[in-house]
Amino acid sequence: MNTEKNNYGIFEVYNKKTHMIGRICSVIVLILLVGAPFAIGAVLGATPDLGAVGKGFLSVGIIWTVSSIVEFLVYTPMLGAGGSYLAFITGNLINMKIPCAVNARDIAGAKTGTPENEIISTLSIATSSLVTILVLALGVLLLVPLQPILQNPVLQPAFDNVVPALFGAMAYKYFRGNLKIAIAPLCFISILFILVPSLISMTSFMILPAGALSIGIAWFFYKKAQKKEVK
Amino acid sequence: MNEILSQLNSLPVYAICGGIIAFVAVICVIFIIRAYRTGIAIGMDPTVLKRTITSSASFSVLPSIGILLGVIALSGSLGTPWSWLRLSVIGALHYETQIAQAAAEQVGMSSLTISEMTPISFATIALLMSICIMWGMLLSVFFNKGYLKKLQKEKPAEKTASGNSFGDIAMTAMFIGLVSAYIGSYIGGFISGNGLFTFTGSLLPLSVAVISGLAMAFFIFLSEKKKLLWVDNFSLAGSMLLGMISAIFLQYLM
Repeated sequence: MNTEKNNYGIFEVYNKKTHMIGRICSVIVLILLVGAPFAIGAVLGATPDLGAVGKGFLSVGIIWTVSSIVEFLVYTPMLGAGGSYLAFITGNLINMKIPCAVNARDIAGAKTGTPENEIISTLSIATSSLVTILVLALGVLLLVPLQPILQNPVLQPAFDNVVPALFGAMAYKYFRGNLKIAIAPLCFISILFILVPSLISMTSFMILPAGALSIGIAWFFYKKAQKKEVK
Repeated sequence: MNEILSQLNSLPVYAICGGIIAFVAVICVIFIIRAYRTGIAIGMDPTVLKRTITSSASFSVLPSIGILLGVIALSGSLGTPWSWLRLSVIGALHYETQIAQAAAEQVGMSSLTISEMTPISFATIALLMSICIMWGMLLSVFFNKGYLKKLQKEKPAEKTASGNSFGDIAMTAMFIGLVSAYIGSYIGGFISGNGLFTFTGSLLPLSVAVISGLAMAFFIFLSEKKKLLWVDNFSLAGSMLLGMISAIFLQYLM
C-alpha cells in the first residue's frame, strides 16, 4: 500500500514537471517557428508580406485551425500529457505518432489514464520523433547520392503506399478482436466514399464521423456487457 | 543553380533550420530520459520500457523514409533546409504541400515553383505555413493540463469483466474509426475514384493494405501461437515493409 502511495507521489511530481517542461518547450518552439521566416527573410533581404499572410490564413488557415482543435480534443487523451506535448511539437500525428503510441501501448499492455500509459506513450512518441529527426538529417546529409535511389520510378509505388501499408497492418490488428465495433464504421465510411468520391480527398476530416460512430457502437456493447454482468 | 534556390540552400539558412531541429531533438532526449527514469522509479519492468523504445524506433524508420521523400519533393521549390525543418518539426506530409501551394497562390504565384519564387514570396509562404499549423501546440500550452485533469476527474471508471474501462474501449474505438476512414477511402477510390461505380480507380492502395494485413496476421500467429514474443517489436514495421515491397511488384500487374 505504502509503495503504491509512494509510486503515485513520484508520478504526480513527474506529471507536474512534464506540464511545465512541455509548456516551456512548446512556447520556445512556437517562437522559433514563427521567427524563422523573419530570420531567413533577413538572410534573403526581405520581410514577409503580412497582408498576404492574413489573406492566406483566412482562405486556408481556418480549415486547419478547426482540424487542429479536433486533433487536440481527440488525441490528447490518447497520448497523455508528455506524449501530446511532444506529438504537437513534432507533427505527423495520424501517419506516425498515433499508430506508434497505440502500438507501443498494446505491446506493453498499458491502460488509458494510468501512469504506465503516460510513460509508454511519452517514450514511444519521443523515440519516434527522434528517429524521424535522425533519418531526415541523414537523408539531407546524403541527399545527392540518395536522391536517385529514393526517386527511382521502380521504387515509387512502395513509398507512395506507406500509409496503406500502415493502416492495412493496423486494421488486422484492431479489427480482429473488435469486429462488432469495426464492421459498421468500415461499411458506412466505404459506402460514403463510393457514393461521394470527392470526400476521398478529405479523408483526415472523415476520421471524426467514423470515430464517433465507432465510439457510439462501443458504448452500446459496453452497456450491454455491464447489464449482463449485473444479472 | 537558380539564384534564389542557392540562397535558400545557403549555410545561414541551414544554420537557422538545423538549430531549431537540434533543439527539438534535445527536447525528445529529455522526455525519453525523464519517462524512462520515472518508469523505473514507479516499478515498471525495464524490459517493457526497452521494448517500447525498440518497437517505436523500428516502426518509425519506414514512415520517416516516406517523409524524407516529402522533403525531397518540397526542396525543389522551397529549398532543402526549410523543407527539412517543416517535416522534422510540427509539419505533416499531407499538410505541407497543400498549405505551401495555397500560400503561393496568395502571394500571386501561379503555382509553387522556384522560377516564380522571390525572397518576399518565400518569407510570406514560410510564415503562413508556420501560422496555419501552430494551433495544436498553442492549444496544448493553454489547455492540455486542464483538459487532462477534467478527464481524470470524471467519475471513477467502471470496468468490464476483461478489466477494461470505457476509456480504454473508447480509445480503441476511436482508433478503429481512424483506420476505417483510411481503408474506406481505398475501397471508395477503387470503386468510384474515376466515376461512380466504374471500378477503374487504383487498386494498389487497397491491395497493399490487404497484403500488409496478411503479413500482420502471420506475425501475430508467430507471436501468439509459436510464442515468439520478440516478433511483436517488429511486427508493424515488418508488415509495412512487406506491403510496400508488394507495391513494387503489383504495379506491373495493375
